[in-house]
Amino acid sequence: MKIESRHLAFIGLAVVVVIAMLVGGRPDLTPSADSVRMHEYIASLAPGSVVMVSFDHEASSLPEIGPLAKAFLRHAFSRGVKLVGVSLLAEGTGIGYRLMEETGREYDCEYGKDFVFLGFKPQWVAAIVAMGESISKTYPEDYLGNTYQDIPMLAGVVNYSDVAGVVSIADGSLTTHWMEYGHARYGITVSAFVAAAMVTTYDPYLASGQMHAMVGGLRGAAEYESLIGVGGSGGRAMLAQTVAHLYVIVLIILGNVVYFRSRHTGRK
Amino acid sequence: MRRKFPQLVCGLIGLLLFVVYFSRHPIASSINETVTREYWQIVFAFALLVGVVSFAKINLQGIERGEDRLYRIISLVGLISMPVLALIWGIGTGSPFMWVFDNVQVPMQSTVFALLAFFVASASLRGFRARSGPAFILLLAAMVALISRSDVGDLMSARFSDFAEWIRSNPSMSARRAILIGIGLGSLTTSLRVLLGLERTWLGKESK
Repeated sequence: MKIESRHLAFIGLAVVVVIAMLVGGRPDLTPSADSVRMHEYIASLAPGSVVMVSFDHEASSLPEIGPLAKAFLRHAFSRGVKLVGVSLLAEGTGIGYRLMEETGREYDCEYGKDFVFLGFKPQWVAAIVAMGESISKTYPEDYLGNTYQDIPMLAGVVNYSDVAGVVSIADGSLTTHWMEYGHARYGITVSAFVAAAMVTTYDPYLASGQMHAMVGGLRGAAEYESLIGVGGSGGRAMLAQTVAHLYVIVLIILGNVVYFRSRHTGRK
Repeated sequence: MRRKFPQLVCGLIGLLLFVVYFSRHPIASSINETVTREYWQIVFAFALLVGVVSFAKINLQGIERGEDRLYRIISLVGLISMPVLALIWGIGTGSPFMWVFDNVQVPMQSTVFALLAFFVASASLRGFRARSGPAFILLLAAMVALISRSDVGDLMSARFSDFAEWIRSNPSMSARRAILIGIGLGSLTTSLRVLLGLERTWLGKESK
């Protein structure tokens, strides 16, 4: 096989990322205004208040979404906020339940008392609107098959008026539906932890106030981890992201130097 | 009649859902709840059934023809084994279903997604060229965004972070808003055309 320039670019990327992961290190990041706003919002919730967390992502983005979700869950559990987990994507169901259970265990939180996972409901718009009318009718049972009425934490939780806010953990555009239907129709406060690629998509919603707060990408996860004072995989992965970004910049410059040189030679 | 009747049903149901969504009347709320909680779920269940049957049919036909036989068999085994594992041992932590999900599905999907980084690396070298003034500005903005989302951004002056933030909150957000407004107006127009019976492509081709 003939080695081409793209193969060298692939090998180079793999080498720099692997070295960065092996070297490790935790950067000292200055938290952005977005991360601080989210941190203040979660910190302002009274212990015992109920927050709905929606795992609106697929398994493919777990390396980026996982640290974001864990940072949020750690902060919420440490503040005594009660969490109701749901998922608008089937794949987010298994991940959401496991993340809540693992993180809940770190803070001695009890399933059914401090947190609960209701699971997946197909057709996201229908699920969001239906929960606005009645959560118990939308989810007669939780993910583990317990009846809604038998779960102590859910006593008195009828619809969004009994929930302090929704936090959507998303790698795509599903958070938009929370804002367009949950916020616009039922007035629920929507915040989000999103993949870096989605940050610019949600910026107009954040600026207009339709979204209350947003934290994005691995950098957002690392910043949030530093704000809550708990180390996590966001900070650990930041060095790998940094070298990958710098590597891409070097490739862009290199590609353009070659392009302009070849153009110059062609003119001659 | 074969085309008029579905059009009429679509228009009337569309109009009804439009009204009940915006109304706070108890009857409207009740209809809204029934439609979203029950009817949409039934439609989804049928759509899922169509998907599963179609997936199985296409793969079985492919196996018969001998095309990518191994991959198709693995796909079908995956399709059948996950519900079977869930039905027999449940879906709780430590169940075989979750083990397969964590150790097969998640790494496979993450791997495929991670391949994007390699495409970006290749595109950076061979495709991202400053062929014109606007292309140069776009490349520069991309580089600023890349640096600001890494540790290096913190090592630079505060003005650099401010500049990156300015790009995000002004040119980038303006473009995004324009796209969103365009999508909104497009969706609204298409919905109205469907409700009024002007858009009929969803009915399929008219038989002569």
